[in-house]
Amino acid sequence: MKLKEMNAALQRLRDKYAVKADGEIVAAKEGSIGNCAELKLADGTICKLLPWRKERRFIELKNLIDNKILEGVSTLRFMNLKAADCIRPLLYRELDLAAFLGEADVTSLFATVNGKTANLIVRLADGKSCSIECSAALPANAEPIDKHEIIARRGVACDRTVDTQVPQASIYEFTADGEKRYTDTDTELFGFELDEILTIRAAYAVLSDPSLVAQWNAIDAKVTAQVQNALESDKLRKPVCC
Amino acid sequence: MKPVKIAMMALTHGHTRKYYQTLRENSKLDWVASCAADQRAKDVYELYNNGVPCYLSAEEMFAKHPDIEAVVIASANDQHLKEMKLCAERGVHILSMKIPTFDPKEYDEMIELVDKAGIVCQIELEMHYNPVVKRLQEIIASGKLGKLLSVQMTNITLSPVWAFPWQGVPEASYGSRVPLKKGDSRFRGGALCDHPHIFDLIRWLTGSDFDYVYSQVAPNLRPDIEVEDMILASGKMKDGTAFLFDPSWSRMEERLAVPAPGWEVFPKRMEVNVTITGEKGTVMCDCFGPNVYHNGAPHDRYTVQYTYFDEWIGLIDEFVDCIRNHKQPKINLRWHRQTIDFMNACYKSVETGLPANV
Repeated sequence: MKLKEMNAALQRLRDKYAVKADGEIVAAKEGSIGNCAELKLADGTICKLLPWRKERRFIELKNLIDNKILEGVSTLRFMNLKAADCIRPLLYRELDLAAFLGEADVTSLFATVNGKTANLIVRLADGKSCSIECSAALPANAEPIDKHEIIARRGVACDRTVDTQVPQASIYEFTADGEKRYTDTDTELFGFELDEILTIRAAYAVLSDPSLVAQWNAIDAKVTAQVQNALESDKLRKPVCC
Repeated sequence: MKPVKIAMMALTHGHTRKYYQTLRENSKLDWVASCAADQRAKDVYELYNNGVPCYLSAEEMFAKHPDIEAVVIASANDQHLKEMKLCAERGVHILSMKIPTFDPKEYDEMIELVDKAGIVCQIELEMHYNPVVKRLQEIIASGKLGKLLSVQMTNITLSPVWAFPWQGVPEASYGSRVPLKKGDSRFRGGALCDHPHIFDLIRWLTGSDFDYVYSQVAPNLRPDIEVEDMILASGKMKDGTAFLFDPSWSRMEERLAVPAPGWEVFPKRMEVNVTITGEKGTVMCDCFGPNVYHNGAPHDRYTVQYTYFDEWIGLIDEFVDCIRNHKQPKINLRWHRQTIDFMNACYKSVETGLPANV
């Protein structure tokens, strides 16, 4: 991540929208399994960042539930495949999204783990189920592939369109160098990679709403434990309470 | 920077709802007042609980709020000149909807009014602030596509005429009642008038102006409206780039009086797609995708839930910057003139059945 440029962009947003709180995006401490960057506030407090909670497709999916376009949510079906060193960050994100989109805490999970892959069946506090398919085993340089489906008594919502298996892009470019894809979603932060944009947006959200510091740090502790629970579940071959 | 004290006029334009959100949320703006074209528009306005006083007369609004610095003119096309005059007389800056007027004389008068008053008049063509379009512009500017050969663009939507009836009234939309062609019972003022964005974009992306255009209407999908809803246009730019445009209302809608969930019948109610072929490469682009999708309430139909839609942030940033720093907006009346001339040329081509020079 280009931390220097990201911090400059964060300051631009602060100035533009007159946000008083100040902070700096820094690399996450070794051993942290969540987002690879966190926010160091002016008083030295560290805030764990949950950038996917500020990703527009997840906000829009949540709006579909909150605005009662979907009614009676039953099951969430998540998939996350990418090239990565370890499965834990992928599980971390999907477990947090399960609570965020499912609007209930994770209470138990059953996991099967094999190398850089994991499959989870999760129970939420209100009885909903969530399945999570994760793989960190895509080849290097492969584009990440993910999918989040919400199945309700009335309606199914998904961040991938019907009859497709991989994410769509906004632009497909075909030249002698082959095919290249672009998906740009944020004019104010144009030029940054998606994970950088989401981190800046998450940091900006915290500066705009300082109550997120305690909230997100608490979530981080909870989800970090849940990831550990998943690994234990695999070893124990039984569901684990969270 | 001191927020710009802004007001809205008329409240009958299709983009009005988007402005409610923008004017409430953008810290560069201080939304002080609104005035509605009629009681119906005021009643709809009240549904949104904007917390901003709304009048039924622009004069009354200006009298009660002499501090208004800028106005969003959100009215039927035939009202724009009158409302621009009200603003120019008071030195109030203008954010104009996408069609200032189709009448060349009126258009000249608008330019003169704005020049004399020394005010900012920015035309609302929000695609300029779309991040996908920004990337497209970068790709073209990089030269990796080589010399551009051909461009195809869609700007297709549902028809807004049931919620915004003036868009189906030739006099209000086109400015006068002009038959499409001999023997045709329809009049100018329909889908073409609703979709200038792609005609503007091609000028911006190629850096060239229009040479000629051939345009053709098809039988209406909505036989009960007086204006065209299906229309195609093809021609060339002065640099030789060939183009094909589809600006139709080709997606059906529920006939709602107030836009709401379930408005669309086809899953994606609005599409701006671009294909550009150059000597060295091709790009295909969906300016409003990808999104999230559902088949929930109210009709349980498969529906695109638009996810990335923040063009109005950049648009307002530019408007405020131009006001505070005395700049000319990119999309000003003079720039936009050729796009309007092109649209008139499309109608001329429909009328004659032959290509028209622009």
